[in-house]
Amino acid sequence: MFSLLPLLTLIVPTFIAVLCLFTNPFWFLKPFFKRIEKESLMLGTGATLAIVLLMVPDVLAERTLETPILFLRLDQSNAAGMVAVAAIFLVVSVFNIHSEKGGRLSPSMYNFFVLLFEICMLGLLMAYDLFLILIFVELTIGVSIVLVAHAPIKLASESAFKYLILTAVSALFVLFAVLLVYILTGTSDITNIGREVNPLMESPRLMLLVVASFIIGLGADIGLVPFHGWAPDVFPASTPAVNGFFCAEPVAFILALYKLVYPFYAVYPSPIILGLMVGVGALSVLTGVVMAYSQTDSLRMMAYTSIEAFGQILLAFGLFTPLGFMAGQFYLVNGAFMKMGVLLSLGAVYHHTGTNDMEQLGGLVKVMRPVAVTYIFCALSVAGVPPLSGFFAKWLLYNTLNEVLLPYGLWASAAALIVLVSVSMVSGVYLVRSFQAIFLGPLGEKWKDVKDTPLALWLPAALVALLAVVLGLAPGLLLRLMGYP
Amino acid sequence: MELLVLLALLISVTATLAGSLSRSTKQTIQYMSLQAAAIGFVELMYVFINLVSGLHIEALVKFFAVFAEWFSAAAVSPLVIYWGMAKTEDFVDRPQMSAAGLAVFLAVLVLAHLGLEFLYSRYLPTQIEATFFISLMFTLSMFLMATRKDPFKILVGLNMAENALYPLLARSPINVMPFMLVLIVFVNVVAVFIVIEAYRDYQTLDLSRWRLTP
Repeated sequence: MFSLLPLLTLIVPTFIAVLCLFTNPFWFLKPFFKRIEKESLMLGTGATLAIVLLMVPDVLAERTLETPILFLRLDQSNAAGMVAVAAIFLVVSVFNIHSEKGGRLSPSMYNFFVLLFEICMLGLLMAYDLFLILIFVELTIGVSIVLVAHAPIKLASESAFKYLILTAVSALFVLFAVLLVYILTGTSDITNIGREVNPLMESPRLMLLVVASFIIGLGADIGLVPFHGWAPDVFPASTPAVNGFFCAEPVAFILALYKLVYPFYAVYPSPIILGLMVGVGALSVLTGVVMAYSQTDSLRMMAYTSIEAFGQILLAFGLFTPLGFMAGQFYLVNGAFMKMGVLLSLGAVYHHTGTNDMEQLGGLVKVMRPVAVTYIFCALSVAGVPPLSGFFAKWLLYNTLNEVLLPYGLWASAAALIVLVSVSMVSGVYLVRSFQAIFLGPLGEKWKDVKDTPLALWLPAALVALLAVVLGLAPGLLLRLMGYP
Repeated sequence: MELLVLLALLISVTATLAGSLSRSTKQTIQYMSLQAAAIGFVELMYVFINLVSGLHIEALVKFFAVFAEWFSAAAVSPLVIYWGMAKTEDFVDRPQMSAAGLAVFLAVLVLAHLGLEFLYSRYLPTQIEATFFISLMFTLSMFLMATRKDPFKILVGLNMAENALYPLLARSPINVMPFMLVLIVFVNVVAVFIVIEAYRDYQTLDLSRWRLTP
């Protein structure tokens, strides 16, 4: 169904972003903008969420909204991701009110880049043209690097450079794959790629080359093993609000990866494609959980926890079954929210203490009770403890694996269950241990003067904790938005 | 493959090799510019001949698109990096290979050429016959990026790897080109901004000393 709403979802934040940018060169506008900088960001993200929510009734009625002139489409395959991305940006922009204290970018430039980042995420989710996806991927790289470099600490520039080089090289693989597809098929529309006979469809090896390039290219942007080198440096180097905004990135990138790889799997259902997706996923799960266990820096721990979660999501998507797609989407959206809850809680801790080193912290529950409560709820949901939403996500993932593995024998399904439960238990152990290290025990002398946490610093994470309970008890609320493409 | 195209590709490969081995940042930037100029020259001449012989609006648009792409790779991006170098220092170093660097280089080299072997064993469509040269230039650029401690040389390596894809990039739709060019320049500007900021913090362009400096 033709609709301008998908286009409007991009135009509204663009308009507000340009308005913010417009105030930058004019010195006489700066004092005025200083007074409304946080509100203008909330206006941009809030208006975007409102437009996304306007499209939800159509999605629930299983209608597809399309703006063909710009190759944008919203349906049940990306609606949950759109809502999640828009909601994450609004919630984090509330957190931003107290958390953002200024950095290398002026406030107007900061707002511009945050909104541009949101536009990239939404664009990536809706685009179905290869070149449009490529443009959003390249733009995301530039914008996210600027946001990392914004943090006024030494580590930021070094980490941003590392991030830039790794992701820019990976973007070359995406560029190579997109050009190969376009040159050999004559189309850049993903939905048309497999419809006609062309040199690409006649050569399984070229198709594998394209798929591998997409996995390397987008895998590095997501932070999948073995392309994850930037993640453990970028998390501690970024400001807490930027870490919150970054929670939206995997939602867009993993769904984009699925969107790019699936058409080739549909034409050529090779076990190699399956093996690439599942292999990278499994490697990420194992590396993530092992590395996270030994971290003493809370943000590095969360970086590896994220890598582990991305691995599990890729396991679900990489099986290319309808249940796998639903499980992957649910895990992806829920995981992004819960990770955001944990990161915002850690951001509130950093705001008061100025450190992420868990060995220096302790006893903060006495002075930061709401933050401690939200942290443990979100962390337990990340670990998959029932009845929180993370448990349902892991349960769906197990069902997906069971569906695929059961024909090979009960032992295969049981082995998958044992591995998944073991991974969840290890992540549960280190997340609870982090709670103990940060919030329990005696309160250090240094932290006795910590004042009450402002509402804006704990309310966003508290909403996420509430969501963990609601989605755990009624997962259908989110599942209704999802469908197999 | 036409002789002129082959010649241009050989010059580009030579410039990439020279760039990956040169010692000063300034020289590396110059070789990068030469690589981009050579690799885009043939396509530029084709569209120029089309423009002169046809004199129609479509040929004019195509000429401007290709010229912009060529100019951006051969002049704008090198100048952006050169500006960054001028703001900091012309770092002189030699390719240094640690065990990890050597492993990365060998892995890329082996993978790239296994990939080629893999493709050639059946057939390679004529549209992508320059893949061998692309792979070679990409590998040399990776070598440059893996063996240097100077962030500007690493950035030049990134641009050289991007330029290596030019034979394919030239076939992309005209309406996409302006966005691609703006994005490439944008990423370069952001990278130079970050390096200058890091140089202010650490007072050196030696990447190995960035985290060690208190």
